[in-house]
Amino acid sequence: MSEAAKADTPFVTAAEEKVAAATQLQLTWWRFRKHRVAVISGIVVIFFYLMALFADFLAVTGPHSTDAARSYIPPQAIHWFDQDGSFKPHVYALKGRRDMRTFKLVYAPDPSDRRYLKLFAEGYSYTFLGLFETNRHLLGLDRGVPEDALFLLGTDQLGRDVWSRLMLATRTSLSIGLIGVALSLFLGILLGGVSGLYGGVIDTAIQRLIEILRSIPTIPLWMGLAAALPSDWSVTQVYIAITVIISLIGWTELARVVRGRFLALREEDFVTAAELAGASRLRIIFRHMVPSFLSHIIAAVSLALPAMIISETTLSFLGLGLRPPAISWGVLLQDAQNLQAIAIAPWLLLVAVPVVIVILAFNFLGDGLRDAADPYG
Amino acid sequence: MLTYTLQRFGLALITIWAISVISFVIIQLPPGDFVDAYIASLSASGSMVRQEEAQALRQLYGLDQPIWVQYWKWASRVAQGDFGTSMEWGRPVTEVLGDRLWLTVAVSLAAIFLTWGIALPIGIYSAVRQYSMADYAFTLIGFVGLAVPNFLLALIIMYFGFVLFDLNVGGLFSAEYQLAPWSWGKAKDLMAHLPLPALILALAGTAQLIRIMRANLLDELRRPYVATARARGLAEWRVIVKYPVRAALNPFASTIGYLLPFVVSGSIVVSLVLSLPTVGPLLLRALVAQDMFLAGTIVLLLGVLTVIGTFISDLILMWIDPRIRAGIHG
Amino acid sequence: MAFNSPLMAQLALGLVLAVGAMSPASAQSSLGQSGLVGTPEGITIVTDQAQWPKTFNEAPQLADLVKQGKLPAVKDRLPQDLMVIKPVKEIGKYGGTWRRGFTGPGDDENGNRINASDRPMLVDHTGAKVNPSLAKSWKMSDDGKVFTLNLRRGLRWSDGAPMTADDFVFWFEEIYSNKEILPVGIPDMTPAGKPGKIVKVDDYTVNFVFEVPFYLFEDLMGGDTLIGGGQAVRQSNKRSHGAYAPAHYLKKFLPKFMPGGADAANAAARAEGFDSWIARLHFKKDWTLNPELPVLGPFRTVQPINNAVWVMERNPFYWAVDTAGNQLPYLDRVQMTVVENLEVLNLRAMAGDYDLQERHIDLGKLPVLLENQARGKYKVHLDLALNGTDAIYHFNQSFDADAEIAKWLRNADFRRALSLAIDRKQLNETFWLGVAVPGSTAPGEALPYFPGPGWREKWSTFDQKTANEMLDKIGLSRKDAQGFRVRTDNGQRLRIQIQAVQAFLPWPKISEMVADQWAKVGIQADVRDTERNLAFTRTQNNEHHIMVWNNGGTELLYLFPRHAIPVDPTEAFMGPEHAKWYASGGTQGKKPEDPNILKMLELFTSAAGQKTDERIKTAQEIWKILIDQQYAIGTVGQSPALMGVRLVSERLGNIPSRNCIAQHCRTPGGAHPETWFYKN
Repeated sequence: MSEAAKADTPFVTAAEEKVAAATQLQLTWWRFRKHRVAVISGIVVIFFYLMALFADFLAVTGPHSTDAARSYIPPQAIHWFDQDGSFKPHVYALKGRRDMRTFKLVYAPDPSDRRYLKLFAEGYSYTFLGLFETNRHLLGLDRGVPEDALFLLGTDQLGRDVWSRLMLATRTSLSIGLIGVALSLFLGILLGGVSGLYGGVIDTAIQRLIEILRSIPTIPLWMGLAAALPSDWSVTQVYIAITVIISLIGWTELARVVRGRFLALREEDFVTAAELAGASRLRIIFRHMVPSFLSHIIAAVSLALPAMIISETTLSFLGLGLRPPAISWGVLLQDAQNLQAIAIAPWLLLVAVPVVIVILAFNFLGDGLRDAADPYG
Repeated sequence: MLTYTLQRFGLALITIWAISVISFVIIQLPPGDFVDAYIASLSASGSMVRQEEAQALRQLYGLDQPIWVQYWKWASRVAQGDFGTSMEWGRPVTEVLGDRLWLTVAVSLAAIFLTWGIALPIGIYSAVRQYSMADYAFTLIGFVGLAVPNFLLALIIMYFGFVLFDLNVGGLFSAEYQLAPWSWGKAKDLMAHLPLPALILALAGTAQLIRIMRANLLDELRRPYVATARARGLAEWRVIVKYPVRAALNPFASTIGYLLPFVVSGSIVVSLVLSLPTVGPLLLRALVAQDMFLAGTIVLLLGVLTVIGTFISDLILMWIDPRIRAGIHG
Repeated sequence: MAFNSPLMAQLALGLVLAVGAMSPASAQSSLGQSGLVGTPEGITIVTDQAQWPKTFNEAPQLADLVKQGKLPAVKDRLPQDLMVIKPVKEIGKYGGTWRRGFTGPGDDENGNRINASDRPMLVDHTGAKVNPSLAKSWKMSDDGKVFTLNLRRGLRWSDGAPMTADDFVFWFEEIYSNKEILPVGIPDMTPAGKPGKIVKVDDYTVNFVFEVPFYLFEDLMGGDTLIGGGQAVRQSNKRSHGAYAPAHYLKKFLPKFMPGGADAANAAARAEGFDSWIARLHFKKDWTLNPELPVLGPFRTVQPINNAVWVMERNPFYWAVDTAGNQLPYLDRVQMTVVENLEVLNLRAMAGDYDLQERHIDLGKLPVLLENQARGKYKVHLDLALNGTDAIYHFNQSFDADAEIAKWLRNADFRRALSLAIDRKQLNETFWLGVAVPGSTAPGEALPYFPGPGWREKWSTFDQKTANEMLDKIGLSRKDAQGFRVRTDNGQRLRIQIQAVQAFLPWPKISEMVADQWAKVGIQADVRDTERNLAFTRTQNNEHHIMVWNNGGTELLYLFPRHAIPVDPTEAFMGPEHAKWYASGGTQGKKPEDPNILKMLELFTSAAGQKTDERIKTAQEIWKILIDQQYAIGTVGQSPALMGVRLVSERLGNIPSRNCIAQHCRTPGGAHPETWFYKN
């Protein structure tokens, strides 16, 4: 289509001149902008990463704070207007008891005990962006601790606030995705690049390695590796290790993409030129070749991230990934993975909503980027 | 062509050997062995197993030998087609697997047909009516299927299937057919149990297929021959179905190979949640119990099937696309 | 006839009292509203021969076989010394399949328990009185050195062969004493390290002879122990204990009785696909795997456990009848279907796919189980257990990998403070739905080993203030910026690990709540949710700080001591090295330095030779040390969490309204499933 279009156009318009002068990244960006769903998805992704960044600030209560007296509270209704009709958002305090016939917990709001919502309220203390200690949170109550009365998304079995846990889980899972992809990317570019650039025996060896890795069913591989982690490792160490394990599988696909690109680029003049100029191999890969297909890589990354996130939830489901007291999407989904949650505390399933949204957003974003990555196409 | 095939075959053999080593190693990675797992399960019944007894059991299973000796014994037996006896099930591995293999294939095939049955028409429709509301709607539904963790979906569907529609809970047979020999009634019972797991398994793959089908078909539709056909006044559906759809299906041929391991293992996690008597949960259980011969055989089997699948895919690709054939010698 | 051992008589008395006023805890009085907790009831064994039936009936299938000449007549299949059972409610009718769920070949206990009557003596529904079973009576000699079992005359194996004293001697001489099968003896047969022996007196009289007084043996024989446990559980799944074995059948597989010896035995084994004759023997003596094996329980396997469905059918030579002379069991068969995960098992139970299921049913699902009662046509029963605590926090006393941590784990005030910091009411509400009883590790007030008033509460009530003061006083007063107490050696935060396994109870979650409560007194506890095998490997290797488990079985301290005191290296969470030291007679492991531990071990050793009254006092003494020292923290117990949530089909008859929940009650086998039947 483009070939024909170029041949038929006699003049060079101003716009085309701009195109001709633009760098590849600019071209990609222009084209990407036209893809509305992808742009919206991009915004959603940014929104979620901001949420992850300010997780503690957005959380309402301490994520580990337990209390039997507030076990399995359903999401709470917020009343926007006060009795006099003024705009004063508030919630009713709850009174709970166990019905000894059904054994369910029953909570009744107490309209006489109103707690007004407050912005920048005080709560548990945390380190803001790793900079300074504070106890200010976006939302809180005018009196009493938020633990006692504010349950935006309800509570879990231990009486922990689902909203606050969700915020912290978002941070964990999204960063696992990022770190995992970064690792995969590094391995993928390095090995894929080496494979594509050198060819021959090295290429064959790396291709074999990839084939072997891809031939081993992932679950046994994960199980073996996850179970082999020293059990006295802290949550953070396990977190990093799990990320590495997940990315161990992820890099092979990226390496294939990169290798294909390298095979094509190897023949290009500018690579030959750089070689003749005596540039080192590593410099050729990262300085010359990588930028020329950066947009492809970005697309591949945004498609690889959702896979990482799903892997994390699956590992947690199998009891191999992050385990409580760590909080991640996988850990929260695991909490919802039983009959009593589905039957009597279905709000625990709400955790799946952000997971779905983020995975969708990354997919659409990736699609948009991939389409845009061929700016001349 | 022949040399290439032989070369590929030789490499595949090396890969299979490497897989056998790696599968043996990853099963050994977790601390402890089958006897530890066995003692842990025994202690639940109040039994007492002393060091000396544990040692005797290790001897019984040959677990007291160094790992390379164990590997060599296992590998040489496997090479002769003897996969050993499952430690946990106390029956030959082939028998334990055999019980479940055919059911797994049935579930997987049902899932694959369902996936294709849903994805291809939607993919074609989405390509033909690109950017229509329906295109967006189908794509979104497909993607949601991809994005929802399907183990969660499985439990939810199973629970509400039971509560709202009185559907059978998990498994593939009703209690009265569990023991019955194969009969028409039993087959019908199986057919009645299949749709739910097939649907849940299909959901995950559908989005991917829709996307590929849509993209391939869009490419084809832009080709000059389509314009020519249209210009000649062919009916629109004929224009689409006759050549472009067929051409768009071609790349799928190469993915058939990758389906092989899936057909045999099914989706491990979903099968576990739905309690399907398939290979997936068997593998998980064998890994947890460190039942080396059973787990090793399944991992090896899946690995080999992947290798065979890739090999077949390559051959198909070569057969479809002469350029690859030419490229080999270049 | 001396049916009751004195200990068990006292237990019985205590329990009757206990049932009247079940517990002072308010949770339990409100539990009464639910109508889910019944009164313990059970079968009665008719010992007055005048009341015995004179004519006998049998199941129609067996009558057919008799007609075809394939089976002797029913009166010839029954022993002279009959076991006559008066069912809980009524005389039943024959027929029906009992459907259950099980989790695979590792779940052999699911069926072993149904065959619980294949032991010489079996505890009754109170969990306190011992009834005759294979033995019609028994006696311990005055000097405590000879224990006599009087077997039922005319008892037959399921293949029709007579069961006699020879089967006991065979087990002792050819299985137990064969070092290739069992490399080491068992404490049950080795009082004070001196091996005892089994001697035949006549065909139906067996003596267990010891060199030293071993009064405890009577309790061991009547409990769920290696010696008294019977064939089904003790000889399946590669176990080789259980006091007797079918000599006429198993001889065929032992080298000693084969012309070619070991070589011939191994060759024969290989021909059948086994690696060695031992592997073959393990298979042949396993009732769950080998349908040919002669058994004594009410059911025998017809389709082995290693299939998708495990099927058992009635034993045509079962030796018990009801008061109308019907040979038991009433049920034709038991059919267990394998499930791959417990959520599905619970959901199937709700769907009414099982007729009676208490195993693997999750207390947390109680509201959902109740909701579906009508749909699944079942009734829910809550059966409360006898043990002190369902979540016991063992402090590893032999830990040595980190001197600072070890120092605190061994500090009594540290442990006491942490116990005081636990709000047990919260745990009870969250994880036991308020139906359990908070307290220390001690057995309930009603049991004879109960150390005395106040010991269920000692160090075991919520008192954050005292806990904080105690921690300050022992040298942990320094805290970091987040308010957590710091180590005395390097000023870093003191971090204690709780190793928790997701098994019978949601221990990792329970521990998360405990950790949150400990955080409030400044102790950082890291919950390690560990896979079961891995956790056991770690505890064996002495790597854990604190391990959480349950203490079911410890209510009979001498029969199942491992979760109370470190004597059994199998699961010595309180100090694996100390348990090795004790079990090896001081040759392995590490000798405890704590005089209180040494004192407990000494008391425990001496108890074997003590008569009942003295033995009870010794047990109380041990419990007092345990609770005062808080080597293990008790939380919440006497609950239905383990096999105590029972779903029973409306069609089943003769079901007791309350089961005994304890290791030795063999739930549900202690309730004699052979007397259950389908009403329609």
